[in-house]
Amino acid sequence: MLRRLSRIPVRLGERIGLVEPDVEPLPPGAKPPRHTFRWDLDKTYLRTEFDSLKDLAMSAFETAADKQAFPGATALLRSLRQDGNRICIVSGSPTQMRQVLAAKLALDGVEYDEFVLKNNLKNILRGRFRALRAQIPYKLPAMLRSRIAAAAEAETLFGDDAEADAIIYCLYADLIAGRVSIADLERVLIASRAYDDDAAWCLELARTVPKAPAVRRMFIHLDRRSPPMGFRRFGPRLVPVFNYFQTALVLYQDKVLSARQVIFVALEMLDSGQYELGTLATSVQDVIRRGRITRETALQLAAEAHEAAKSGALSGRSDLPPFERISEAFRERVRELGAAPATDSHQEEPLDYVRLVDEEHEHRRTRRKQGVD
Amino acid sequence: MHRIVVDAMGGDHAPDEIVRGAAEASLALTGAEIILVGDASVLGRLLPRLRHDGARVRVHHAPTFVEMDEKPAEALAAKPEASIAVAADLVARGEGDALVSAGNTGASVLACSRRWPLLEGVRRAALASVYPTELRRGEKEDPFSLILDVGATIDATAEDLVGFAVMGSAYARLISQNRRPRVALLSNGSEAGKGPASVVAAHAALVETTELNFIGNIEGLDIPRGVADVVVTSGFVGNVVLKMLEGVSETVVRLARYAHKERLAWRLGLIALSSAIDQLKSITDWQQYGGAPLLGFTHPFIKAHGRSNARAIGNAVKVAHKALAGNLCGNIARTMAELDERAQRRASGD
Repeated sequence: MLRRLSRIPVRLGERIGLVEPDVEPLPPGAKPPRHTFRWDLDKTYLRTEFDSLKDLAMSAFETAADKQAFPGATALLRSLRQDGNRICIVSGSPTQMRQVLAAKLALDGVEYDEFVLKNNLKNILRGRFRALRAQIPYKLPAMLRSRIAAAAEAETLFGDDAEADAIIYCLYADLIAGRVSIADLERVLIASRAYDDDAAWCLELARTVPKAPAVRRMFIHLDRRSPPMGFRRFGPRLVPVFNYFQTALVLYQDKVLSARQVIFVALEMLDSGQYELGTLATSVQDVIRRGRITRETALQLAAEAHEAAKSGALSGRSDLPPFERISEAFRERVRELGAAPATDSHQEEPLDYVRLVDEEHEHRRTRRKQGVD
Repeated sequence: MHRIVVDAMGGDHAPDEIVRGAAEASLALTGAEIILVGDASVLGRLLPRLRHDGARVRVHHAPTFVEMDEKPAEALAAKPEASIAVAADLVARGEGDALVSAGNTGASVLACSRRWPLLEGVRRAALASVYPTELRRGEKEDPFSLILDVGATIDATAEDLVGFAVMGSAYARLISQNRRPRVALLSNGSEAGKGPASVVAAHAALVETTELNFIGNIEGLDIPRGVADVVVTSGFVGNVVLKMLEGVSETVVRLARYAHKERLAWRLGLIALSSAIDQLKSITDWQQYGGAPLLGFTHPFIKAHGRSNARAIGNAVKVAHKALAGNLCGNIARTMAELDERAQRRASGD
């Protein structure tokens, strides 16, 4: 009875978003996950508009059913969850939205192992107003804490081009791989204008986190349609994508997804009404042209997808043309390129994260002046 | 989804400005796919530098292109895989729905005419051009009138001129959202009997139509006044008129520059008028119109100005999309069929 009573303040705190549930470590003796997939939520999984105050307000009052996932993202998440993989969601949405966001994920049939939201109420109560917009001092420690709780052999990260996901994810990847020192991280946290205690906490986590070059791939969903070339400096591990079919194609090449799972992503995109076979085929061409998958991969996928289609992956889909025609449309897109080589010129130099953070701040200041942010 | 094929290598500022314009259009148009035809390795390097929708812009390789100063027939014969030829082929094969090019005009017209059939009832295609006028027209307050033919062919019979009138009217209705565009024949006098035999016969035929808002003949000086929304003439005359109008515009600009340099009083006067001049420039800026159509074929072709920048190309792509969405070719074919039916009834004495 006393124990239950003592939990009331905590439960009330969680309800109003003042207290965040702890990240549960793996039980002793449990096998570590093979692969952890870390997802951002807004503009990565969910189509969220908050470029104006009006959009922000509307977003806060949307029900779970109102919220829209990007076509293909749900099928992709469900596929990634298989085989005992770990799904960790870290989002900049406030903790007060936990209920509606969790309901949306449940509606979509998405299971997850972690769901971290930003405690902005606590920031406001403490007068920490610059923490409201800051991303690095929030997301980076959240990811480090998550890895400490359950360190997987491999990780794949999913973000978007609206804010600093590319910087945060590369920083995280290099930190856990030992390519960024604690001293470097300290400089980055200063440039990010982290509060002293938040910075100290982040540095402590960075010292403790299990080190390994675990991050295999990072996907940046181009919600703002940023030029893909702008992400070249982050190296070939980071792939900007226009849609989740492109993500699925790269994951197929990485042998993370099967052909059947790629088909399911494509079918969800077609069913959304926002994509046609032609736009999916053009998406294949785009990702080949940018050197993110090879023509051989595309041909191999076509062959395996054909087998999957024969074994029933497209059963009940009388709305689609015969698979041979679909396959030919995709092959034609590849042939259209002629013999032109892919534009695969990625830089491999170490990243100057302090400079990147400064540029990001400048970019956001410019956007605010233009009235876009 | 409408597929708009863009000759990415045609034009003074190709391929950079063409690709930029197409990239911007891919973000603005949700119901269209843009197919850039040109050197895939060059286009593949340009696209990632630009904001665009990678699911709606694709590249179709063409190894060569026709230069702006090449003789059209010779160039097409020597370069069968030139970007304009490949682009026209794509549309002809049903892999594209409309074509946009800022390249060599003669080569563009020839490439299309060799591959695309004419619409039922249309005897000749007509190249149109827009010209800024004093009067505004339509729901969009369009300051441009349409002149056709300006050079697709040299001569025109009365039947051709009637066809041009139908096509120009359909285009103006759709693109300028002008419900009843005023259609006129260009002649050397406003009387019905003035002009060559073809113009007189066309006048007689057009007066009988109810499908078109035919207002009769106009003279050259009526063109810039905007008396008519659609000005119909033969290709030879149209081309001369167009070049003269362009020459007048250039001369006015040169005179203004001369005046600006020559005397302080004139310079002060021009400065006082500068905001009005800027306003006039923005109103009559052809870049905002993108291009003008080659009418009469089964597919829309928008010919953009050779000096087109990204904005002009983007607008040309949007015009092509509008032509597809509004079923321009279908409307032309339907009106031609109605006219033909009436002519047959008249001939049989009904």
